[in-house]
Amino acid sequence: MIENKKLSDLEDGNNSNSYHHMLVIIEVVDGVVLPVNYEMLGEARRLMDFFNKQYNSNEKVIAVVLGQNIKDLCNELINYGADVVVYADDPNLRYMVNQTSTKVISSIAMDKDIISKISPDFVNHYKKPRYMFFAADSIGRHLSATVLAELDSGLASDVNKLEISDLEIKHQHKTKGNALKYGKVLEMYRPDFSGFLWTTILCLDNKNPEIRRDFHPQACSIIPGAFAPLEPDPKRKGQLIEFTPKFDKKDLKIKVLNRSIDKDKIDFDSFKIVISFGKGIKEFPEDNIKLIETLSKLTGAEIGISLPLSKKIFKLDEKINSKYMIPGRVIGTSGRKITPKIYIAIGISGAIQHIEGMKEAEFVIAINTDENAPIINECDIFIKGKMEDVLPVLIEEIKRIISPLEVQAKRK
Amino acid sequence: MSLNVAVIVKLEPDFSEGNISYNADGTLNRAETKSKLGAHSSVACLAAFYAKVNYGANISVATMGPPMSEIALSEAQSICDADSLHLYTDRIFASADTLATAEVLKKGIQKMKENENENNNGIDIIFSGHRASDGETGQTGPQTAWKLGYPFFGNVIDYHLNLKDRVVTLKRLVVLNGMDNIIEEIESPLPVFIALDPSYKPSFTTLSSRLKATIFEKNAEKKVANFKSYLKMFDHNSLELDPKEVGLSGSPTIVYKVERIPKGKMNRKAEIIDGRDRNQIKNIAEKILILNGQYGRS
Repeated sequence: MIENKKLSDLEDGNNSNSYHHMLVIIEVVDGVVLPVNYEMLGEARRLMDFFNKQYNSNEKVIAVVLGQNIKDLCNELINYGADVVVYADDPNLRYMVNQTSTKVISSIAMDKDIISKISPDFVNHYKKPRYMFFAADSIGRHLSATVLAELDSGLASDVNKLEISDLEIKHQHKTKGNALKYGKVLEMYRPDFSGFLWTTILCLDNKNPEIRRDFHPQACSIIPGAFAPLEPDPKRKGQLIEFTPKFDKKDLKIKVLNRSIDKDKIDFDSFKIVISFGKGIKEFPEDNIKLIETLSKLTGAEIGISLPLSKKIFKLDEKINSKYMIPGRVIGTSGRKITPKIYIAIGISGAIQHIEGMKEAEFVIAINTDENAPIINECDIFIKGKMEDVLPVLIEEIKRIISPLEVQAKRK
Repeated sequence: MSLNVAVIVKLEPDFSEGNISYNADGTLNRAETKSKLGAHSSVACLAAFYAKVNYGANISVATMGPPMSEIALSEAQSICDADSLHLYTDRIFASADTLATAEVLKKGIQKMKENENENNNGIDIIFSGHRASDGETGQTGPQTAWKLGYPFFGNVIDYHLNLKDRVVTLKRLVVLNGMDNIIEEIESPLPVFIALDPSYKPSFTTLSSRLKATIFEKNAEKKVANFKSYLKMFDHNSLELDPKEVGLSGSPTIVYKVERIPKGKMNRKAEIIDGRDRNQIKNIAEKILILNGQYGRS
């Protein structure tokens, strides 16, 4: 942060008049606005309210929606925080096909007619949006990458914290080693794969005269569940703008032939107990997995894993790998959010992205050797010890309780 | 009908136990960690191999990285029996973000068209993995596709070609928060860029395809023993790249800072139990069974 400087002294970038507004790309699937979109709008609203106050400005949160028969959804997006909704309603946009969606979104982002309707003052200099949000899911991750390739700028993926600040940057390439001011910078925080580190990504114009180049919009994809949506306000007023898309003939040869629900998805929701394991299985992975399997059979539990395990970090029998070490079992922001009655975390230290996936569980038991592991703040019972020691005893005690019950049941 | 396939791969830290090294704070120790062909890259190679067995594809594998990335190319060749290996290596490529990496890969793939495939349409399908295990952005594939003008399809779990009409039919797994997973079946004219879902597995159902697969696997072994004879190196000059457009100069984004994620606020107050205390474990066993409705009051 730069202190004691007048903000008006700060340069946004190379062409500070050319970039305006925050675009939020909305995903509509089968007529439904996905929850992450409301979360993105909430965060966009928070940031732009700050922005407009801080810079005495009037830049908008613009929701962009593509689809078929979507006009009715637009008011809802205003209620959730958008100032403007730009929508393209066309049978060719019924499904979000990357190729066509990328072109339509990029056209909207560059369209001066739209800007003249939203903020006529900006229209003469307008080039591109200032900021752009996408969802970090199977649609938005790819779309964010292709749209930003088209707009020739940069993005951070899988972000879970955002700030707008004025920064002094000294960078070998960006500023040729000089300390230069950058205003209105979107600081994009993304957790790394370990879940313990935050990397802050910035998308900055090259101010170095030798490689001078503009990089706007500053864009990111946002992890579902990372931000809270606003309470919808039916009295909020906003502007609806229709955009009529044009299509390339060859793009329309890409056809969605069929869509079906994937039945292989692990159905965590119908299990009262979920037992997950993490890197802590490392000393005797196969034996420990057997113990976990036994515990899950006795209690009728489904089995989850922490993210690092889906990278197949242990040399294991291929059958075990393909059964357990798969993305479909990951609990956390990179996997599933679950709400079982009982969650048992075995050898899981509790990286923030894992916590996000299990914190709504009713009762949480952790088995871990390390009392300093963050999971201790997220569980009701913390069993300090090695799983190799704890699990056999726990299994034995459970069997001791259950087997007489089973005998009783049989006698009846 | 010929088919030309390119595979984009990456040398990545080996996350398997014994090869990976963590710092005391739980982060990756890059200096101590070994490298190998990324797991997702291997999946892309399997998809290319499927094209070789079933459609007689000519396969080129490409990577951008330091000279040691040739290991990744040879590993890739052993999986897909690649016909040529392309290494884009230049000091000025280093530390590129996804857009600057995509710029290099675009030029590289355009070169493949010029150099190797005089008599045909160029590269018909580009395969890549889902995302790199270290960077984890998953952006390089789609951005390369976009720069080349190839339609991009991600999370692909299956594909088939109709070579006569030059059309691909593919299935992709769409995972969306708050919804059931969707399997989407798409048809597209070639050329296309396909990023494979980690769950992709080729299946060789017919006897003849299994026989062919075995032959190609043996061929691959022979080729890999002498993989350098298949290897071509390119720098920014031979790729005719403007140094301004690559590496750090061509990267819109920078890493501004790296910090530990602060511990979240304490959401629950844990009762701490000694794992050696059998009585306590017995109480927990009861607690689990009660909550689960297997014992006593539910």
